[in-house]
Amino acid sequence: MAEKMQLNEVEVWDGNLAAAQALRQAQVDVVAAYPITPSTPIVENYGYFVANGYVDGEYVMVESEHAAMSACVGAAAAGGRVATATSSQGFMLMIEVLYQASGMRVPLVLTVANRAVASPLNVRGDHGDMYAGRDSGWVQMDAFNAQEAYDLTLCAFKIGEDMRVRLPVMVHQDGFLTSHTAQNVHPLQDDEAYKFVGDYKPYEEMLDFSKPVTYGAQTEEDWHFEHKARQHKALFDSAAVIDEVFEEFKKLTGREYKRVESYMMEDAEVAIVALGTTVETARVAAEELRKEEGIKAGVVAPRVFRPFPFNEIRDALANVKAVAVLDRSAPMGAMGALFNEISAAMYTTPNRPLITNFIYGLGGRDFPVSEAKRIFKEQKAHADAGYITTPIQQFSGVRGPKLGFFETKRS
Amino acid sequence: MIEIRWHSRAGQGAVTGAKGLGDVVARTGKEVQAFALYGSAKRGAAMRAYNRIDDKPIINHEKFMRPDYVLVIDPALAFTDNITENDKPTTKYIITTHLSKDELIAQIPELQDKKDRVYVVDAIGISMDTIGRSIPNTPMLGALMKVSGMFDLDFFLESMKRVLSKFPQKIIDANMEAIKRAYNEVY
Amino acid sequence: MSKGVLATPKRGIRELGAEELVGWDEVTQGTILETFETEVDNVAHIRPEERPYSDFSSYTATVASWRVIKPVYNRDICIDCQHCWVWCPDTSIVSRDKQMLGIDYDHCKGCGVCVEVCPTNPKSLLMFAEAEEPEVALTKWPEKKKKEK
Repeated sequence: MAEKMQLNEVEVWDGNLAAAQALRQAQVDVVAAYPITPSTPIVENYGYFVANGYVDGEYVMVESEHAAMSACVGAAAAGGRVATATSSQGFMLMIEVLYQASGMRVPLVLTVANRAVASPLNVRGDHGDMYAGRDSGWVQMDAFNAQEAYDLTLCAFKIGEDMRVRLPVMVHQDGFLTSHTAQNVHPLQDDEAYKFVGDYKPYEEMLDFSKPVTYGAQTEEDWHFEHKARQHKALFDSAAVIDEVFEEFKKLTGREYKRVESYMMEDAEVAIVALGTTVETARVAAEELRKEEGIKAGVVAPRVFRPFPFNEIRDALANVKAVAVLDRSAPMGAMGALFNEISAAMYTTPNRPLITNFIYGLGGRDFPVSEAKRIFKEQKAHADAGYITTPIQQFSGVRGPKLGFFETKRS
Repeated sequence: MIEIRWHSRAGQGAVTGAKGLGDVVARTGKEVQAFALYGSAKRGAAMRAYNRIDDKPIINHEKFMRPDYVLVIDPALAFTDNITENDKPTTKYIITTHLSKDELIAQIPELQDKKDRVYVVDAIGISMDTIGRSIPNTPMLGALMKVSGMFDLDFFLESMKRVLSKFPQKIIDANMEAIKRAYNEVY
Repeated sequence: MSKGVLATPKRGIRELGAEELVGWDEVTQGTILETFETEVDNVAHIRPEERPYSDFSSYTATVASWRVIKPVYNRDICIDCQHCWVWCPDTSIVSRDKQMLGIDYDHCKGCGVCVEVCPTNPKSLLMFAEAEEPEVALTKWPEKKKKEK
């Protein structure tokens, strides 16, 4: 039996330690990892926990992130509770295997400290890696601070391992801004946390020799499409289980999570939609603007990026006049991905708000409260004018001449 | 909200110092944030760490800060880094130096009009004397306690003992001595 | 069509690739395929013809129709060296206790590797037209070749 750790009611943890503690409390059987900044401390801490008897698990050292994720898929198919962590280039190297994991429907957990993708090389955070996972068939949840990184990692096991889901789950947090920022975290004690996550329930595990199974069969044209259709539906259907798990977590801790988080949206006229720590910074801006200038500003954030909360986004933005969708990833010759998805959702509503796109914060560029306020005010100007008065896509916080693309066609 | 900016070199313990302060503060029921911004730079590179302390949860994640306290734990950074960046008329500076306050201020034009808000302590010298290594983070915290009056010395020493509990007793004792000396010597 | 030795009611009962094409709602989760219909203990000690192979196992499928020529086995010459058993890419040489029994014609594709690797003189396995009856083929076996000096 693993030794227990006595935790304080309030710990000061950064996002990495918070995620690692959740892995320990879930008693993960196998972590196969090839550490990379800024997620290194997640697996480093898990290694410490294993070495000191706090987890009855295996830490498998491998030669690359591709091997790390491959070993994880193998261990998950074998019938263990499995997790790992990565960032940026490591995430990119894992991608081929991410699709294997979801296609085989193995419930493993990947904790990601989001970081910019080279070139140029940069260890600091943006959402380029997270976005690269959006078609990989994983559940993708996003933490905005260290507490949430802890909470969502515990929830991730329960969601992915549910017999109605059986899909791998990513828990994202902002590199450095969350992963290396220590804040007050209210952890559960070990027994409570493990009881919430529950024992691992195997399904078609390869180590059951009385029931041999084939994983990774070849399908060709005759079967591939049907399998992918079933997988896609399973991912959409996981939304109901995510809601259940969030509800159970709320009963246990009082902390409430929704697939789409809304802040100050009851009467909001303008909104920012964003992911990660920016959500919280934008909340500060909205609060200040409401006090200082009476602008009815609100913030909407997909807590769950996949399955994409199409309906909940439509509800959250049902009454706003202008929305700024913030993408912390270089879209390279397109509109931002979040902008596209929010726009598609809102296009199918009677209220089609004015939606603009901001590319911001690439490579860790600071996103200050003052800039969030400026963006809110711009939305207010669109709302008052009744049309988009700026380019539809703009770059926020980049040096050099103003950079923007496309105008609204008004005739 | 109290905001603190640390100017340090990678390896001098600013991150540990900021997190240690966070640990102590969180035990008093306050909300804290301790973060550092660094790239792939190695030991010796200039870097900054930050603390925010408030009564309500801290949701501001911007790097931009108008600090209440600027803690400079490397003597050279007082000259080469922009330590007065985004400061306020009330910002207090605690700078590690072997120079006297007057000698230091005389050499740094930006501090000329802030004389009454500048404090000095030889955190490097103290850490060399007590810990035996140039780790000026804990003495800087001792100096901060004196200048800010945030906590009384005995409470802070007890709290720091818990924060440092994973270290050998000898190192804990040396740190306690360093904190005490800096508390008494800063001016 | 000849089923070869150790044929069972489950072996080769369907043409490979002629399975019923079910919809997305009926395919297995994660493309995970179960080998057996029921749980089996100690499977390594149970002979293939006694295992409860499922429809997902290629044991229940046949590729016999893919063949245009087939190997015929001559017990009288065979020395049970097991070369053919080792080399067959489709596990279609049936051998028990290191004694060669014959060919699983449900899974043999007629590649001829077994004939190539057979070391006897004359060979104990030879390729004949698919339509040739093995009994007739055995009457056409060549004589032992003399070593050329």
